[in-house]
Amino acid sequence: MSKRTLRKSMGYIKKEYPRTRTIPASWYLSSYKFKFNITHMKPFLDKLKQKKLVGLQCSSCNRIYFPPRQICGKCLVKPDRWIDLRETGRVASFTVTYLKDPETGEVLERPIVCAQLDGADTSYPAQLDPDIEFKDTYIGMPIKVHWAENIKGGLMDIEYYDSIEDSAKDLQPKEE
Amino acid sequence: MGRQVCVASAGFSEHASKRSDVNMPELVNEAIVDCLKRVPSLDIKDIDAFVNGNMPAFEGSNIPELWMTDWMGARNKPLMRVTTGGTTGGSVAIAGYYSVAAGLPGVDNVLAIAFEQQSQGDTSVGLASVAYGEISVMNSLGIPYDQLTLLLSGGAAIGIASYQATNYMRKSKITEEDLARVVVQNRHNAAKTWWAHLKMPDLTIEEVLDTPYISYPLRYGMVCPASDGACAMLFTTEEKAKDICDIPVFVNGVGSIANETALIGYGGSGSGQLDLSEQLGAQKTSEIAFNQAGIHFPRKEIDYAEVYSPFPNQELMWVEKLGLFEENTATKMYETGVTALNGELPINCSGGVNSTNAIGASALERPAVAALQIMGKASNQVPKTVHTSLGHGWGGYVNLVTMMVMADEPVRKY
Repeated sequence: MSKRTLRKSMGYIKKEYPRTRTIPASWYLSSYKFKFNITHMKPFLDKLKQKKLVGLQCSSCNRIYFPPRQICGKCLVKPDRWIDLRETGRVASFTVTYLKDPETGEVLERPIVCAQLDGADTSYPAQLDPDIEFKDTYIGMPIKVHWAENIKGGLMDIEYYDSIEDSAKDLQPKEE
Repeated sequence: MGRQVCVASAGFSEHASKRSDVNMPELVNEAIVDCLKRVPSLDIKDIDAFVNGNMPAFEGSNIPELWMTDWMGARNKPLMRVTTGGTTGGSVAIAGYYSVAAGLPGVDNVLAIAFEQQSQGDTSVGLASVAYGEISVMNSLGIPYDQLTLLLSGGAAIGIASYQATNYMRKSKITEEDLARVVVQNRHNAAKTWWAHLKMPDLTIEEVLDTPYISYPLRYGMVCPASDGACAMLFTTEEKAKDICDIPVFVNGVGSIANETALIGYGGSGSGQLDLSEQLGAQKTSEIAFNQAGIHFPRKEIDYAEVYSPFPNQELMWVEKLGLFEENTATKMYETGVTALNGELPINCSGGVNSTNAIGASALERPAVAALQIMGKASNQVPKTVHTSLGHGWGGYVNLVTMMVMADEPVRKY
């Protein structure tokens, strides 16, 4: 269905305006150099290489950031304590995207989630297992990290999140 | 303590997806002429200062306020520019309020102007440039660009809105039908407003639910359009307002508060907002603005509200977070007609942002319509007498909330 027929069916009253001369032009934004201090990220990325997850804790409000943040949004304090996190988590929020596959032209329905790892106080956008039906996704769904085959030391080492059962053993606290 | 500020008039240009007959300065001029038409005793020469704003990146022309000076009538007069993304209009209104409240000698009548001609450029490029800092950081953390566009659902505001929608729908247990009902009310109201964009007088809920998804749970029929349009609002002092208009509207409270960013945190980190529909910034803004205006029970004291809702779930969310309804009850209010034109608390009788969205101008149109409803001069006028009203704006890096509370009598501050 084209846009025009859609609008017609919804009873859209369109007003036509006379056209004046249009002069085409383009605005080229030259290359962009964003400054970003990477020092607070290094321990995090090093741990990712060992398939371990760590979050950065603010010493003032005890909020744990995953991925780490340079400054706490609440307290204006530099978080400095590294906390080990588990590989399980919950879906904090989700949506479904409808993107066209550039090769086959078919529309892919992919659930995209805001993942909150157990122990962390923040969420970040991530992908779910492509085999999970988008209708089965819900808020509060237990998930587990699925590591990529080639570990490079970046956020994409967590390729996607697997869904797990509510009673899965991974969710139980570890006995020391 | 500053001076008491009044709104004397407000004006709009016609909104459409492509205003092919005018360019940007001509569009702005349309709104200014409409604004001054309502105050016949005032001429453009009597305007002392100008506040102006839009999002230049969204249409691809930089510093437009300087090359349209002549069309605004701002030659040899103080001119200030404000740009805060989606809330540009709200910030422009607040800047106009401050300019008058400051009590500078010779600055009494201030014209606040906000505009956007989105058909001129590529808005999605502008939106991407806003988030570019964060995107490049996430890219450096090892997420390739093609994955990032997938993660951010195309990178536009609808990505964040759909996360908010799923959070809100789970919390208040509503269905897509409830979202469609909000859209239908807005589009019907827009059909009665002369300047609105999406006029659909015969829209039904089934027709909205028949359209394809853009991003779950928001459908094509539910999202706001991209419009061309401008809005102007005249701020003046209490004494002058009584001379130039019949019913001066007193601005009693303003607030603008930025919360933590919603989806990605600063520097590619995690976001501290787990529930995106919680909106602590909006709660704080309404608290501040209502306190200034001396309103203690907004549910009873506010007669009319204009909220910034490009997407229907946001309209339900904002009316609750601004304290107009109890938590999780907004859907029932739309169902029973409390928010309709002849209801107890009419909301968005101009059609709202859901029907007309010229990004820079949208947040200025909210207080403008709210003020005109008190004056009794609005295009889609509420049948009951409006004593207090509010105009709300949302945007920035999806975290800034602005608000303006107005009434037909001033609050005496101590």
